[in-house]
Amino acid sequence: MNQPQDTTPAISVRSLVKTFGRGAEMITALNNVSVDIRQNEFFTLLGPSGCGKTTLLRLIAGFELPDQGEVLLHGKEIAHLPPHKRPVNTVFQNYALFPHLSVSRNIAFGLEMLGWDKAKVTATVERMLELVKLEPLANRMPDQLSGGQQQRVALARALAPEPRVLLLDEPLAALDLKLRKDMQLELKRLQDETGITFVFVTHDQEEALTMSDRIAVMSNGLIQQVGTPHDIYYAPETRFVADFIGDINIIRGEVNSTSDGSMQVTLAGDLEMTLAGTASVGQSVAVAIRPERSHFAVVGAPETLSARVTDNVFFGAGTNIHLMLNNGQGFIVRIQGQESGCKPGDTVAIAIERDAAKVLDN
Amino acid sequence: MVAPADISPTSDSQKLARARQIDARRKRNTRLYLLLPGLVIIGLFGLMPLSITLVYSFLKPGSYGGVEWVFSLDAYVQFFVERDIFDDTLSPNWAYISIFSRSIGLSFGATLGALILGFPTAYYIASKPAHQRNFWLFLITLPFWTNLLIRTYAMLIIIRDQGVINLALMNAGIIDKPISILYTDTAVFIGLIYSYLPFMVLPLYASLEKLDLRLIEAAYDLYASRFKVLTKIILPLAKPGIVAGCILVFIPGLGAYITPELLGGGKKLMIGNLIAIQFGSSRNWPFGSAAALILMAVVMLALLLYVRHGAKGARHG
Repeated sequence: MNQPQDTTPAISVRSLVKTFGRGAEMITALNNVSVDIRQNEFFTLLGPSGCGKTTLLRLIAGFELPDQGEVLLHGKEIAHLPPHKRPVNTVFQNYALFPHLSVSRNIAFGLEMLGWDKAKVTATVERMLELVKLEPLANRMPDQLSGGQQQRVALARALAPEPRVLLLDEPLAALDLKLRKDMQLELKRLQDETGITFVFVTHDQEEALTMSDRIAVMSNGLIQQVGTPHDIYYAPETRFVADFIGDINIIRGEVNSTSDGSMQVTLAGDLEMTLAGTASVGQSVAVAIRPERSHFAVVGAPETLSARVTDNVFFGAGTNIHLMLNNGQGFIVRIQGQESGCKPGDTVAIAIERDAAKVLDN
Repeated sequence: MVAPADISPTSDSQKLARARQIDARRKRNTRLYLLLPGLVIIGLFGLMPLSITLVYSFLKPGSYGGVEWVFSLDAYVQFFVERDIFDDTLSPNWAYISIFSRSIGLSFGATLGALILGFPTAYYIASKPAHQRNFWLFLITLPFWTNLLIRTYAMLIIIRDQGVINLALMNAGIIDKPISILYTDTAVFIGLIYSYLPFMVLPLYASLEKLDLRLIEAAYDLYASRFKVLTKIILPLAKPGIVAGCILVFIPGLGAYITPELLGGGKKLMIGNLIAIQFGSSRNWPFGSAAALILMAVVMLALLLYVRHGAKGARHG
């Protein structure tokens, strides 16, 4: 049998507008946002604080109602349903565990509200405790748990009712670095094991790149780009995305000629490259290059940028060599280890990997 | 896969916290003398009169007030049973028992009424932005600026047969003869609620103000209806405030004097009035003392029952 796969998006957000306040103090939190989140996907909303990512999550959860636009859950309009009528659950930033209920009663809460019968509730709670590895703590109260343990209870509580979509609002922000790294993998494992669609909100780009199937980068109430971590990292479409994700060199280029989707661009008045994109001849464009995709070459070799070393910065896993290009713009080359073989004042040549340079919109 | 390493109960940070607690406790113990002034006042003007009351309750009444220094259980016996003056047979003394039970009933009703009226009020104030709450709390305390006696007289003027309420209703043609409220249990009931409502609102507010609104969102998110959010989340977390408020209304309500005296017109006695009469016109100090102590015993019993039964849930909030 060849069953047609259900390709209805788990969440489909259409032209969503949400404003807060009124008059002169009105803030547009979401400015006509549309995005499709696929089934069984680990989808991340990434952006700086105030970019609208949490508002979008709260609109999906039902804690806020949109001014305009639609939210579809598996094809069904839910934008105006109250939270308790939506088959989605939320893991809150500070966990919001019920302080008067034990770990297992917290996990059972949603199931009891749904009116599940007792045996099924007990069995599910046990399964959830096992899933998040908290069996020994079933009868503890939330204030007897560490931050990481509370985090797992919050996860178990939200996963127990088997929601169609799990919403996670910066759930790892309060954990220390090592625990956060562990939980990132743990979350990914839980998503694989349960097959539930995860919508994850974070301002931490590394976290987003580590965990996500796809990422939507947001700023100022708009979605800047949606793509896989690889796309977002190596093929940023806008200056905002390029700047926000990781370290990147953004240098000026002059368009010399264009032909059918590609163009000849002179970078920093020094190196001519063929890049994808459209612009008019003579226009100045911003070109983004990751520090780890540029390397040192023999001075004077063809197809290189020449530059002067200004600083070596060792950061543990590697070293950033800070350079100044001929046109006065800064540039960083990242190498493994500590031995750069160059010192401030040296003149060097930079070779750029094929396809590493991207022309940015605006 | 991640090992659940953080399940062990004692991490280094917890050990440190415990060690610091021990130090803090030692520091606290040296501050015991701060208690002294308060203890002196309570000892002098609380415990001593109480001891005098206790002693008096086991004596015989003097003919013109005061006591005769003769040991007697008459005061207690008189409270519960009546001795027939002709044939000395004993029968339960329903007069006093009914005053007691009416007091308990009225005070309980007033407590319940204050809770029902006070909870939404406290919730409203607690949900206001922090800088506006003080204004509302100020309004709650405003009645205390005037003496309770004056306020009760004012109430009397409002609810009496020719009072504001009845005149307004009659002028509007809704009723043609006044509704008698004054000098009834209803008047005492309303008076008690009015007098003690602030004592309910303040502790309720203190509990609700600490309530994390995200817990309510979390409950909605987990399929709880509005009603379930109230009964499963808000009420249990507000329980310490509810209990404190109920105690603060019920106990003074039980011993209320001014309210039943003025609004009950002396016909509808409460325990407070009964006790006052013994030290006044009846000139039976031992009986007054016994009644006061019996009242205290009832209150302590009620509190004891609460502590044993209800204190379990009060740990949180």
